[in-house]
Amino acid sequence: MISDLLQTILKIATDCNIPIVLIGGLALPAYNVARTTLDIDICIYLISQEELNQFIEALNQNEISTVQKPKINHNLFTVFGKLGEAEIWLKPCDAFHWDEQMVEKIHNFFDNVYVLAVEDYILTKLGRSDRSSIDISDILKIIIANKDELDWKYLRFRLKRMDLESDFKEILKGFRLDFNNNLRNISKEILDKFKN
Amino acid sequence: MVAEKKTRAPIYVTLSDVERAYKKVEEFQRLIERGKTTEQIFKDILKLIQVDK
Repeated sequence: MISDLLQTILKIATDCNIPIVLIGGLALPAYNVARTTLDIDICIYLISQEELNQFIEALNQNEISTVQKPKINHNLFTVFGKLGEAEIWLKPCDAFHWDEQMVEKIHNFFDNVYVLAVEDYILTKLGRSDRSSIDISDILKIIIANKDELDWKYLRFRLKRMDLESDFKEILKGFRLDFNNNLRNISKEILDKFKN
Repeated sequence: MVAEKKTRAPIYVTLSDVERAYKKVEEFQRLIERGKTTEQIFKDILKLIQVDK
């Protein structure tokens, strides 16, 4: 059993046929990485204000409310349950919107808990306007833990599309430093995989 | 709602950042080798956030 608030939100989205994914630090274990976090960040894929209103109404019926008046073009809104709060995002990152390919690549973590494809998740961390050293640290760990599973071609495509390729290359410089100093083969592999 | 900023913080990754990342990934893998599942690790982290009834 996971948190009542999270479980309820996931169930409502599932019942409403709304794609929903965990994002933020809480999603990290799905990518073989972990760190502590105190935030519940969730992202839903909706295309109309009507759908959003119905979702909010369903939340209200389950004693989960928001004091905001969310609009479909907003980034996110905060909801409060009896025992906690969560941020519900209407796009995966403040820098970009959902697209069909991203939705298709959503994958199941367990039960009714879903996450973005690892490549798209990296983009949410790299692209956010208020990215911090924690985001960069998360990306480093994700790359190391998923170097063999990453779809590098798709990642390159996304980085180019979001104009984040140069930012990603700055991160890769860290692996160059590591290889030059520690001769760690994994760092070399990562650099090669991005090139190919 | 978060206002979109024009510029993001620059990225500067040091050798220590990468070494720390490797160490953290190894720690996670050790948890998995000891029998923890990613699902259990997720639930453990979630317990920090939960407020008891």
